[in-house]
Amino acid sequence: MHSSVRLPMLAGVALLALGGIAQAQQGPQAPNMTFFVTSAGPGKGADLGGLEGADAHCQKLAATVGAGGKTWHAYLSTNTNAAAPDKTVNARDRIGKGPWQNFKGEVIATSVDDLHSDNNKINTNTGLTERGQRIPGVGFILNAHDMMTGSQPDGRAFPGNMNMTCNNYSSSNFGKVEVGHVDRTGLADTAQAHSWNSSHQSRDCSQEGLISTGGNALFYCFAAQ
Amino acid sequence: MNTMRSSILASAALLALVLGGTAQAQEATQAPNMTFFVTSAGTGKGADLGGLAGADAHCQMLAASVGAGNKTWHAYLSTNTNSSNPGATINARDRIGRGPWQNAKGVVIATSVEDLHSAGNKITKESGLTEKGGVVNGVGDTPNTHDMLTGSTMEGRAFPDNVSLTCNNWTSSNFGATVVGHVDRRGNADTVFQHNWASAHMTRGCSQPDLIATGGAGLFYCFATN
Repeated sequence: MHSSVRLPMLAGVALLALGGIAQAQQGPQAPNMTFFVTSAGPGKGADLGGLEGADAHCQKLAATVGAGGKTWHAYLSTNTNAAAPDKTVNARDRIGKGPWQNFKGEVIATSVDDLHSDNNKINTNTGLTERGQRIPGVGFILNAHDMMTGSQPDGRAFPGNMNMTCNNYSSSNFGKVEVGHVDRTGLADTAQAHSWNSSHQSRDCSQEGLISTGGNALFYCFAAQ
Repeated sequence: MNTMRSSILASAALLALVLGGTAQAQEATQAPNMTFFVTSAGTGKGADLGGLAGADAHCQMLAASVGAGNKTWHAYLSTNTNSSNPGATINARDRIGRGPWQNAKGVVIATSVEDLHSAGNKITKESGLTEKGGVVNGVGDTPNTHDMLTGSTMEGRAFPDNVSLTCNNWTSSNFGATVVGHVDRRGNADTVFQHNWASAHMTRGCSQPDLIATGGAGLFYCFATN
C-alpha cells in the first residue's frame, strides 16, 4: 500500500523535473536568428575567457535555441595593440556583413555601416535574448541594460592608452569595460546615454561592479556567417 | 669638565649644522623664475585633489615654498566632457597660459601650447623636475612614481563623455579611473603611448594605493599661466 502510493509520487516528481528541463531546452527555437543579447553572462564579470570564451558563450546559447549551425561572434573589441597594430581587434570587423535579425525575425541592421549609424534598430523591444526575451532596462528594479562592448561608438577599439576591455576580457579585477545601452536610455539625455554600444565605462570588471552601474555582464552576439 | 662641555658644544654645533643643512636645503631651492614643475608630493588622497581648484591651490602652495608664489599656477588637468553643457568642459591645454615654460633650473620644456603637445616637447626625466629641482623617480627606480595625473588625451584635451577618466573631476579616491602621462617618457613597452608625457595609460582606480600600483604617487604637472 505504502509503496504503491510512493511510486506514483516519485514518478510524478521525476517527470515534472524532466519536463521542466526538456521544455526549457526545447521551448523557444530560433534557427533563423542572427543577432541576440546573451540571456546571461558566464558569471565571472567581464572575465569571459577572452574573445574565444565570449564567442563560445554566444555559440552555446545559440545552440540552445537551434541556431548553433552558424558561426557566432561576440561584439567585442580588444585593447589596441600598439606594438602590433594589426593584432588589434575591432568589434565591427568580426560580425559578418549582415543583415542581422533577432529572435522574432526583426532586422536590427542591414550592414556594418547601418549598425553603426543612427538608422540602427536596436532598442528595448528588438534587443532580445536568444530566447526572445527583453532585457530589463531603465525603470526596472534590476536594470541590466549595460552591454559590454569595449568599443568606441564606431565599433572600433579604444586608443592604446586606455584599457576598456578588462584586459581583453580576461580579468574580473583589473581595469574597466566600456558598455552600451540596449534600451538606448540612460541617466542623461545625451548621445552617449542613447548609444547602443558606447555609453560609459563600468566601475570595474567584477560581476558586482558590472551590476552596480546597470549591467549583468551581458553582451551582443552576431552570426558572422 | 671642560672636555665634557666641549663635547656637548661640539654636539650642539653638529646639531646646528644638521639643522642648518635643512634650512639651507629649503632656502637653496629658490626658483622665482620657474614656470613649470612636477609636484614633489600629491595631496595624499589619491586622485581626489579637491577638484581643479584644490589641484591649482596645491600647485600654488608648492610654488610659494620656493619663492615662485607670485605667479598664477594651474594644474595640467582636464575635466570630464560635460555633454549637457559642452562649454563647461575644461581641457588641460587651455588653462596653462601660452608659454614658454621653464623648470626650476631654467631649462625650457616647451615654447608654446602647440610645442608642448608636439614631438618637440622637452619634458624628460632630467627636465621634468619638482618645484625643488628634484628628479622624479622613473622606470628602474624604486619606487617608480613617473605617472603624472592628467585625465587628458595626448593633445591635452578632455576625453569624450562615454568614458570617465578624471576620478569624478578630481574629487574621488574611490570611483572611476584616470589617465596618466609618463614624465620619464618610458614605460613597459616601446609604444607612442608609453613614451607620452601626458597620456600613457589608465590607472587601476583613484585611490593612493591604486595610483602607486601602476607606477605613480598622485603627482601632477603645474604650469604658471602668466
